[in-house]
Amino acid sequence: MTAILRISGVTVCFGGVTAVDDVSFDVAAGELLGLIGPNGAGKTTIMRSITGIVKPDRGKIELNGERLNGYPTHRRVRLGLAISQQLVRPFREMTLLDNVSFATGYKKTEGPMRAFFSVARKSNRERARDLLELVGITAQRELMASQVPLGVVKRMEVARALALDPKVLLLDEPLAGLNSKEAGKLADTVVTLNERSLTVVLIEHNLSEVMRVCSRLVVLDNGRKIGDGSPKIVMDDPLVRTAYLGAMENQNATA
Amino acid sequence: MPKDNPMEGLLNSYEISLVVKAAISVIMALSLNMITGFCGQISLGHAAFQGVGAYTAVILTLQGIHFALATAGGMVAAGILGFIVGLTSLRVRHDFLAITTMGVVFLFSGIVEQTKALGDTDGLSNYPHPELGPFNYMIMTVSLAIFVLLVSIYVQRSWMGLAFKSIADDEDTARVVGVDVAGFKLAAFVMGTMIAGMGGSIYAHQTTIIQASDFGFIESITILSMVVCGGVGSIPGVILAAIVLTLLPLWSQAIGDYKLLFYGGLLFIMMRFSPQGVSGLAHQALILIRDRGKGRS
Amino acid sequence: MIEIALLVQGLLDGSLYALISVGLTLVYGLLRVLHVAHAGFFTLGGYLCVVVTNTTGSFPLAILVAIIATGLLGMIIYRAVYHPILHHPPFVALIASIGLFIAMEESFRIIFGEQGVTYLAPPLQMTLQLGEHFLPITKIIAFFASIVLIGGLGLLAARTRTGIAWRATVTEPEMAASFGINIIHVRYLNFFIGSALAAVAGIIFSLTTNLVEPTSGDVWSYKALAIIVLGGLGSMKGTLIACFALGIIEAYGTTNFLGQIMNRDAIAFAFLIIVLMIRPQGMFAKR
Repeated sequence: MTAILRISGVTVCFGGVTAVDDVSFDVAAGELLGLIGPNGAGKTTIMRSITGIVKPDRGKIELNGERLNGYPTHRRVRLGLAISQQLVRPFREMTLLDNVSFATGYKKTEGPMRAFFSVARKSNRERARDLLELVGITAQRELMASQVPLGVVKRMEVARALALDPKVLLLDEPLAGLNSKEAGKLADTVVTLNERSLTVVLIEHNLSEVMRVCSRLVVLDNGRKIGDGSPKIVMDDPLVRTAYLGAMENQNATA
Repeated sequence: MPKDNPMEGLLNSYEISLVVKAAISVIMALSLNMITGFCGQISLGHAAFQGVGAYTAVILTLQGIHFALATAGGMVAAGILGFIVGLTSLRVRHDFLAITTMGVVFLFSGIVEQTKALGDTDGLSNYPHPELGPFNYMIMTVSLAIFVLLVSIYVQRSWMGLAFKSIADDEDTARVVGVDVAGFKLAAFVMGTMIAGMGGSIYAHQTTIIQASDFGFIESITILSMVVCGGVGSIPGVILAAIVLTLLPLWSQAIGDYKLLFYGGLLFIMMRFSPQGVSGLAHQALILIRDRGKGRS
Repeated sequence: MIEIALLVQGLLDGSLYALISVGLTLVYGLLRVLHVAHAGFFTLGGYLCVVVTNTTGSFPLAILVAIIATGLLGMIIYRAVYHPILHHPPFVALIASIGLFIAMEESFRIIFGEQGVTYLAPPLQMTLQLGEHFLPITKIIAFFASIVLIGGLGLLAARTRTGIAWRATVTEPEMAASFGINIIHVRYLNFFIGSALAAVAGIIFSLTTNLVEPTSGDVWSYKALAIIVLGGLGSMKGTLIACFALGIIEAYGTTNFLGQIMNRDAIAFAFLIIVLMIRPQGMFAKR
């Protein structure tokens, strides 16, 4: 398996809490990998370590064999990573179209000199419109990002991540806030993109969609990896079931 | 001796000096607008860069160097200081940046006023002026102001302007879409401070003496007021505010005597009622008019 | 011997910085706003003390009036200036505060005159002799006053119900509110105490220099802001340490080679910038 993304022995501590504990897994080129686990398992933290938003205390992150440790986020993005985060961060003073259009111009914003001499925006706006259509939110494209519902912003963030022409797309709960029809459509879109050889790492709580679309699952619980394999095998694993059931039981008990 | 210009009779020397002052203010305000308005980096010490430009240019003209070259020298010196301050902005958070930029002013005057070679507290005087004559000097200053305006408009329209805007909006998100936030912040500081340095040289050569106290905290806040009252980031608003805030104290005796009270009061009334500045007010007004026109209210 | 004298000098100046900075830290901790106008209360305290002493002849009365009036004005300023704009991004409050400060200084110039005010019969002008050096009694009072007042404040914060309520409001405003603590009252109290302390510093200043001018607060304002940033915004301990550190650095800095190329204020700010480059969160950041 050619691993396009390799996470080795990553440990992340916040104060006294170990959010991620010695986690390792590979992502094969062209895979649609699901990263699942109960709340607080460390999934988002792992994703943020991959993009460099969070710095791991130990461990290595490699993209196409290149060691990413120490690289700033923007450099990792230009090497081919793109992320759509769980806690949405749109550019609030821009429209949805402008948000995505700006991202499509990543070549032009490579550095101040390049950016200074680039003025044209038309092709970027067109590309942005196509991307917004891909995720199904063309109608709201001229609205300000601060004035649309969560589900719309989440989809815009997916479009914005795609605008960067990534090699690996990291999606953190892209289906949250969507009704089942919208979720199904977006999941299908992700599958289509993956079939066109875009590697995707997906964090999702919507297990039915995860089971449907992912070719492989990595399961985290309390910061540790407790499962790694095809969806059916992983979900039959008693360890995994306990982790999820345990979480659900806790929820029922306190409810 | 200045050549005879048929237009000269249009303005008397007082009016000429007003135009020059206003044009310099416009240059200073637009230069700060690039840093604070476009890129969202607060700077409370902008006059210090003007001061560096002024002092450097004067020292150069005192050596016999031509005004244009001296101005360029002033711009380079100001830009270098701007680069250093920009480096600070990368490391520190918003509030800290405000205080650090405030400190630059005191660092500047503290060093200049202790150094004999820089004129101590007496300042520098008896330096050569360009042989243009007041009217042509005014034309030159206004032309430079227009040039700065065009540069500002261009930057705003370019992808550099977009990158600045993304940083002002949400730095972390800018990183996530591949923007080298550090590089662009430095670019903003260097560009803004170089223009301020040019403003310093122009200021110096239309007066006979420069002192560190000409480029202090109050002066920095005055420039900031122009950007803030005009509407942070809005080019027309900033220009209007720069002109009005410069000329009002000179036209109106009452305001002139109580200039600082006026500025202070204006600042906090603006922040209380229209933090988006005049351009924000204009924007609101436009929306109101448009909605009324559509039959809504 | 010179070292000890400088050290003492630094500590004494530091204690005056402390009296001003505590109020500033209180406001920042509560509102996340840089209350630039704070030094205006310093100057006001000085003015009121001088003017009341000169008109009534009673120094103790003047102290009382200065402290209480300034404290009350602090509360009014909170209500009139900060309260309505807290929902905007922080730079709005910062700029409003700067505007207020400038307006205050101008008002002093208009009301009390350009030349400033002096005591007709300056109280407490004695000096204490320490070896070859003469220390003004006022600075010694400043030192002890700051220990008593700030220490007292610290005790109040730790032991009394009001103090605990205040600390809760600073760290977890929403939870504090749900426990029935009146956030607004806590803010008023903050501004009263902070402004009153600044007035005390202003009074001591007026005794030390026997001249209060409209711009007396300038340098103190900037330095106090630098101090709280140095200390790590919001950390009271950090602020106090930074006060004394700055006092000592200035005392030493002005007497050695640095003093040849920079004046006192430049040294202070150079120190600030260097610290921030090394530790961008300030020396004792809370988080």
